[in-house]
Amino acid sequence: MLSINNLETSYGLIKALKGVSLDAAEGEVTCILGPNGAGKTTLMFTLSGIIEPDAGSIDFFGTSLTGLAAPKVLREGLALVPENRLVFPLMSVRENLLAGAYTRNRSDKDEVEADIEKMFARFPVLKERQEQNAGTLSGGEQQMLALARALMSRPKMLLLDEPSVGLAPVIVNEVFAIIKQLKEDGLSIVLVEQNVVKALEVADHFYLLDQGRVTFAGTPGEMENDDVIKRAYLGGG
Amino acid sequence: MDFVQTNIDGLLAGSAYALLALGFSLVFGIMRQINLAYGSSLLVGAALAVWLEPILGLGVVGLFLLTVVACVLAGLYVERLCFAPNRGKTGATVPMIASFAIWMQLDEVSSHLLPSRTHNFPGLEIPPMFFGDLYLRGDQIVQFVVAFTSIAALYYLIYKTRFGLLLRATAGNAETAFLLGAPTGRLRLMTFLLAGLLGGISTFLILSADGQVTPLFGLWSTFKGLIAMMIGGVGSLPGAVIGGLLLGLIEAHSSTQFGAEYRDITTFGILFLILIIRPGGIMGVSAYQTGRLAQERI
Repeated sequence: MLSINNLETSYGLIKALKGVSLDAAEGEVTCILGPNGAGKTTLMFTLSGIIEPDAGSIDFFGTSLTGLAAPKVLREGLALVPENRLVFPLMSVRENLLAGAYTRNRSDKDEVEADIEKMFARFPVLKERQEQNAGTLSGGEQQMLALARALMSRPKMLLLDEPSVGLAPVIVNEVFAIIKQLKEDGLSIVLVEQNVVKALEVADHFYLLDQGRVTFAGTPGEMENDDVIKRAYLGGG
Repeated sequence: MDFVQTNIDGLLAGSAYALLALGFSLVFGIMRQINLAYGSSLLVGAALAVWLEPILGLGVVGLFLLTVVACVLAGLYVERLCFAPNRGKTGATVPMIASFAIWMQLDEVSSHLLPSRTHNFPGLEIPPMFFGDLYLRGDQIVQFVVAFTSIAALYYLIYKTRFGLLLRATAGNAETAFLLGAPTGRLRLMTFLLAGLLGGISTFLILSADGQVTPLFGLWSTFKGLIAMMIGGVGSLPGAVIGGLLLGLIEAHSSTQFGAEYRDITTFGILFLILIIRPGGIMGVSAYQTGRLAQERI
């Protein structure tokens, strides 16, 4: 499991995370909600080793990830699907998937090929377009590719940064169906989302992040009954 | 027959330009940064090689190896000094201006190594070949063959190997490549190493065909490489090859049509037209469009 304790991160003089503590349990979907500028993406970047934290600790299945760079974090089994997909536009779908398997050993070649076939079974649209450049895919297809690419490293836990952003409602449903499947397959997921209604369908645990601090933590039931959240995120109240 | 001869001359000269342009395009394509010290790192490599060769007495093959090694080392020196310290901290401008300063420094070093301004550079001394009326210089044929062997090897490396996959991923999005475990710092160093290798090979080919090296070679190769890259498409590897060959053809034809004194003005005129009609260069446009396509469909 992932355990974050008092994490602080800043960009120059601006402190984006002011002591964040949260836990994400194995086999569960942990959802992090919060308005724009709350520090959600900063948290994702700090966890995955793109930015170094100023203070605090990150513990992942008994190993400290604090201050490790991204390639090492990935080798420990924590993979991030960044916001806005960020597929490699001029590389084919298949090459994008191969790039996702970079941290695996060269001797795993057959297994990597087998995993690509598994991804094609899970995301049939990627099989159809395997030789096409990723830049020519639609937004939804790119999100599927970004997910599949992250799965190619065989992570223990997946960090998903706003997978529904900018996608049509039908596509958002597809993305959440995939997340549900992954959860059923036993993958642990940390999901950053603004779409609370969709998040409620899959999440076991919620955290609300606001201005760099955790302001709420609880189960879906507790969250639905919290007045502040009801007013800000679910409408009515 | 003259027309055919001019085309052949142009393509032979263009093959060396293609290598120079590839050196620029690799660095720009993968790092989105322009290395203005590229030409002078080649000059200082050549200067070191002709300075050392008589001391070591290694002959033409030794001179070739010396040139390539010295150009690679000069390229890595530029990377360590101008590009590595600014990685991720500044935009593309700071390293570009730093590389301009190193350009001056390396040119200064070269003129100390070559005090007599023109220095003899041993040629390959390969007999010319004749096909009917067509005349082919032996060293230029070697230049063409070596250039295209290097291009084929580079193509294989970039498009068919795991290392190449990673380089292209870094070119596409360095941060995401880092997220997927790519050692981006080492990849950047390897990019400069490759650019130095290509530059060293083309430096030897060009100088041995000319039979001399002058302190102007740095500026000359920067111009030829940048122009060929801009014609072909900034950051595109196939574009660099096409741009290099086209630049050779344009120069050859303008020399025979209007005389050698109009060669450069014709070249710059055509570059000007290309930049108006296709601002991204010949192959650059497709990359731009694919990127935009992705943006539009999100």
